[in-house]
Amino acid sequence: MPQIEIDGLVLNVDEDGFIEDPTIWNEEIAKALAKTEGVTELTEDHWKVVNYIRNYYLQYQIAPMIRKLCKDTGFSLKEIYELFPSGPAKGACKIAGLPKPTGCV
Amino acid sequence: MNAPQKAKDLAPLPYRILDDEEKVRKAVAIIREKAAESRMFKLAMECCTKCGACINACHSYLGTEDPYNIPTKRADLVRSVYKQEIMPLSGVLGKVAGGIGVSAELLEKWFTYFYQCNQCRRCALVCPFGIDTAEVSIMVRQILAELGMVPRFTVGIVKNMANTGNNMGIAKPALLDSCEFLEEEMYEETGIKIRIPVDEEADIMYVPSSADFFVNTNTMIGVAKMYHAAGIKWTIPSEIIEAANFGLFFDEKVMKEHNRRLLDCAKKLKAKKIVQGECGHGWRAARMYTDGLNGPVDVEIRHIHEEAAYFIARGIIKVDPEKNGDIVYTYHDPCNLARAGDIIEEPRFILRHVVKNFVEMTPNREENFCCGAGSGLLMEEIMETRMKLGKVKAEQVKKTGADYVVAPCSICKAQLPLVFEYYNLPVEMSGLMDLVGKAIIL
Repeated sequence: MPQIEIDGLVLNVDEDGFIEDPTIWNEEIAKALAKTEGVTELTEDHWKVVNYIRNYYLQYQIAPMIRKLCKDTGFSLKEIYELFPSGPAKGACKIAGLPKPTGCV
Repeated sequence: MNAPQKAKDLAPLPYRILDDEEKVRKAVAIIREKAAESRMFKLAMECCTKCGACINACHSYLGTEDPYNIPTKRADLVRSVYKQEIMPLSGVLGKVAGGIGVSAELLEKWFTYFYQCNQCRRCALVCPFGIDTAEVSIMVRQILAELGMVPRFTVGIVKNMANTGNNMGIAKPALLDSCEFLEEEMYEETGIKIRIPVDEEADIMYVPSSADFFVNTNTMIGVAKMYHAAGIKWTIPSEIIEAANFGLFFDEKVMKEHNRRLLDCAKKLKAKKIVQGECGHGWRAARMYTDGLNGPVDVEIRHIHEEAAYFIARGIIKVDPEKNGDIVYTYHDPCNLARAGDIIEEPRFILRHVVKNFVEMTPNREENFCCGAGSGLLMEEIMETRMKLGKVKAEQVKKTGADYVVAPCSICKAQLPLVFEYYNLPVEMSGLMDLVGKAIIL
């Protein structure tokens, strides 16, 4: 199993760099994962998106529809891409500790 | 060479990872079996005269410029083994006749190149002997699966399908939440209560793509509005919100299991008609292989574009092309609709009614080029290859001068925006039902 080390934090990740065990997620891990997705600092806006995705995942075991994510957080898709350059599915979901969304996406 | 990552754990596939020696032995045994039972395979292996018609027909070769991606040359990776093992003079002529034995190294080459083939069938269209190299590709991926060589991405999808009935892994509570949200969205937009009924008994069982509940929400909305306007009772089955059937690409057992689930759900919901949503290969699998593998099938299997074209032609729904604006639209034929499922004129008929400006790309219909992700080549780790596979498509789109590409297949929908960005094409993209949804008069 691949491991990554960020600021002294060692994480077991899958081949795409998503944490292997979503249940170990915490804010420190989010901060570490953010660095792998080109997000140097998690601002309040970032947390709004990350926490929304995280809570949705805890309730439904899947990422929310992008459209719902935008509506419920008040960010446009463009703004989400500004916050997470690799996009909601890859960047934001990874930082929120979800498995990588798969399928035809 | 850029190959997908291989899965280290194959569950729930009924295969195991073999060591090199076992792999070689088993590969030879399977090739012997296939040669004995499949006329298609024999024809593909024995009839090619190297006329070269498939060379420039293949976007994979044109994009990668790798000779192993010439359809006949790719097939030679297997043909050489066939000649060595099956042809009567193999023991005598061996390499002279182009025969070589299987080795672990050769199997790696199979894995690389048969996962750079999009199984688009454009080579089959031009082959004077009717050799369908996509079928060879499907067969070789099947052999590779039995040797334990399957992409990690593909196994992940099979696992999600087994657990939840869709590729993304959406369980019923999430589906219900998503449907409720989309109903609210439609109410906000139209002031009308339009439903997306889940697991209700209905004549029509609609099978969306699970990606419609993540990124392509307007496709789902278009379908819901259409059935609402047509006044027809319909439902989606929570146990299979997946038109895609990845089994077609690499494993017959997976394909058959998907079909079984499809038919079981139709029975449970007392559906008379299964309507497949916007997915290319899934249409081929449902239409062409359900009866053969799981039949006899006593339910009608239709495509959503057949439904929409019928409703428009009969005046059952009304559409206003003004609502889709003045922009110029072009249409990308998903390979499995145009070369394997005869959904060619329906989408064009619909488009001419729902938009004002529609231009064809060249070539089109059954001659159209693949988006570059066909056969499930959506793995992130082969992005560089995917962009090369999408090169011809990008050139085609650029030449149309269109602002907007209509691509009614979830694989195309996942691939094309990345291709357009990579080749700096400022074009938008969506499915076709999305535009029906916008143009419809409620």
